[in-house]
Amino acid sequence: MAQITTTSSLGPLILQSLAPAMLYVPTPTMNNIIVCDKVSMPPNGGTTCRFMRPRALQPPTIQLGNSGIDPPAQVPQKDIIDAQMAFFGTGCIINEQVILQDQEGVLAWVSERLAVSMRQAEDLILRDYIVSAASEINAGGGSNGDNPTNLGLSDFSLVATTLDTNNAFKFMSGIEGMDRFGTGPIRSSYFMLASTELQTDFDSLVGQGVFNNWNYPNNTSALPSEWGSVFNLRILTSSEAPVARGASANAQDVYFNAVMGKQAITHIDQDGYSMNLIYRDPYYSGMLAQNATLAVKFAQAQALTQDTAIRNLLCTRLSSIAGP
Amino acid sequence: MAEYSRLASGQVVSTGGQTLVITPFIPDFIAIDNQTRLVAGAGVTNASWNTDMGQGAAVLSTFGTGSQFIAPVGGTSSGALVSGTGFTTIQAGLSLQYGAVYQHTGSTDFSISKAAAAVITTTSNHNLTTGNWVIFQNLAQTSTTGMQQIAGIPFMITVLSPTTFSIPWNTNQSNYTAFNTSTSTGNVGSFKQILFPVLYAPGDSIISAITTGTTTTIVTTAPHNYVVGQEVAFRIPSVWGTTQLNSLPNATIPGSPIYGFVVSVTNSTTFVVNINSTGFTAFNTNIPFLSFVGLKFAQVVAVGDVNTGGLQISSGSQLFPSPQVFNGYTSSTTVGTNTINGPAIQGAFFNATFQGFVIGTSIAGTAADVIFWRAYLHDLNT
Repeated sequence: MAQITTTSSLGPLILQSLAPAMLYVPTPTMNNIIVCDKVSMPPNGGTTCRFMRPRALQPPTIQLGNSGIDPPAQVPQKDIIDAQMAFFGTGCIINEQVILQDQEGVLAWVSERLAVSMRQAEDLILRDYIVSAASEINAGGGSNGDNPTNLGLSDFSLVATTLDTNNAFKFMSGIEGMDRFGTGPIRSSYFMLASTELQTDFDSLVGQGVFNNWNYPNNTSALPSEWGSVFNLRILTSSEAPVARGASANAQDVYFNAVMGKQAITHIDQDGYSMNLIYRDPYYSGMLAQNATLAVKFAQAQALTQDTAIRNLLCTRLSSIAGP
Repeated sequence: MAEYSRLASGQVVSTGGQTLVITPFIPDFIAIDNQTRLVAGAGVTNASWNTDMGQGAAVLSTFGTGSQFIAPVGGTSSGALVSGTGFTTIQAGLSLQYGAVYQHTGSTDFSISKAAAAVITTTSNHNLTTGNWVIFQNLAQTSTTGMQQIAGIPFMITVLSPTTFSIPWNTNQSNYTAFNTSTSTGNVGSFKQILFPVLYAPGDSIISAITTGTTTTIVTTAPHNYVVGQEVAFRIPSVWGTTQLNSLPNATIPGSPIYGFVVSVTNSTTFVVNINSTGFTAFNTNIPFLSFVGLKFAQVVAVGDVNTGGLQISSGSQLFPSPQVFNGYTSSTTVGTNTINGPAIQGAFFNATFQGFVIGTSIAGTAADVIFWRAYLHDLNT
């Protein structure tokens, strides 16, 4: 019998080796912050950020005539919008034995996780604020007999028409058509923030005025989370887009698709207080200095600064396809 | 130890049902003493909870009975106590969350009456409190009758009894048919509580009634959270009638939105705006049943304010009170719950997120009971 030395008789002293790169952390795309105007409150500026929007004056369409008498003066007016600052934060307490003994640089990756969690909080706050503050249009152009219905082409058209009629400003200029198979010109557009769960419905409408971003004549202007375009809307999708589970008339999931023009929502920070990463050495914990802390904190307010330039287009899905 | 633990205490006035206590952390131990029940010598005098018991659980002491246990939902409780009606910690940081679905199960059913304020009657304790918000689904008595017109609308409820509550909607109209899950086709129909309906305020509200005149009175289906001086805009689809209130179109200055200002607040669901609506089309909620598909609701939305100061001081309040909000757990319809942030201009958009715990219906005593509470988050739980 051959004397073969195997790992059973001569096992390695160290059984595992850490792979060189950490695995990715599934993280939703954060679309809400993309569409916000950004404003910074000054230090010592109080608790509340105030916006002012002048009102339009009446255009003088009546001729002066020849009486020599001036028309009555108009009184300029303005609208005021206030938003109160709020503070947020979270952190981790890490025992020094973890820092001392772990091989993978725990302080580095926990710092990164805290930063991402803070950015996600920023986006979720905006998401839920938009759900609460923006007025709603229930989709009615779909065929599923629910309230709201699934998205029909007329719903996209209606919400874009509403914003156009309200003189909202579009975010994106159009993309001219090119002589490429399967592509078509893309209109100047508002943004629609939608759930990834709706992509099956969007796919079913391709060819009916709905373009996936791969059908753009040139998709260099497409954002990373951009699914595509329909009429005057460019659709950004995220798995964390708001969904009210079982909340439709027929107890199906209701999707909140925020459709907006420029300046509809404003994100406010205070004197760069956003994104503070705070590390406290174990020296500052108990008498034995055992625990370090890592934390993030930030200040944020948000306001609907152009109510006429935003609508929540509510919809259900075409069919009750099982969720992810 | 005790370096990272959290301790808090205080007192709260019971709503008689779900009673919210806001704390700056999620506790893992809660204890309450009901002073009013102790003096009266009747009812639940003390209760406590440990996180390991599970959400909705509690150990309680009933005067003359001794200690009993409420199990979490699905568990086995002492005697006739209803599982899940003890303590529940809450983290109201994300919206669109719902409570348990109440529907036909063989042992539970509910009905909705035709009435100016529709009354919901349940066959078992609904465990809701005035100020809670609910939402209905599948209100089809048959394929062509029922109340699907109001399915999907958030409503603040007024509790009439442990098995009845009302919603601010007039169903006593020709296009509504009394609804009952025990007789509806397929026994369909359900409702559920909206757990955290107001995390940000003020916002968008659905209108249930409008009284026109030299000023205009608006009733919403759930708290509007507006204040005097609030600037508001209306979005009223033509099926609801009073489209003249809409902010656009503007026939005088094309493109310029027309807003109204709140001149008085009657209660959490009623306010008056300064728009002279004399001669405007009457508001109509008698929507045909089959029109529910794709029905767009009449709404009012906050767009600004004309105020310069914060909430005024009142008896017992802080010197610079934070904004008040009707957050789904506020049983009063006239005085909201103070948020956990600092003072803000009245009418400002503010954050109303919170965390803490809810004293459940089995341990909250009766309305106006004075309850002393303690909440801990321990350094160590094994």
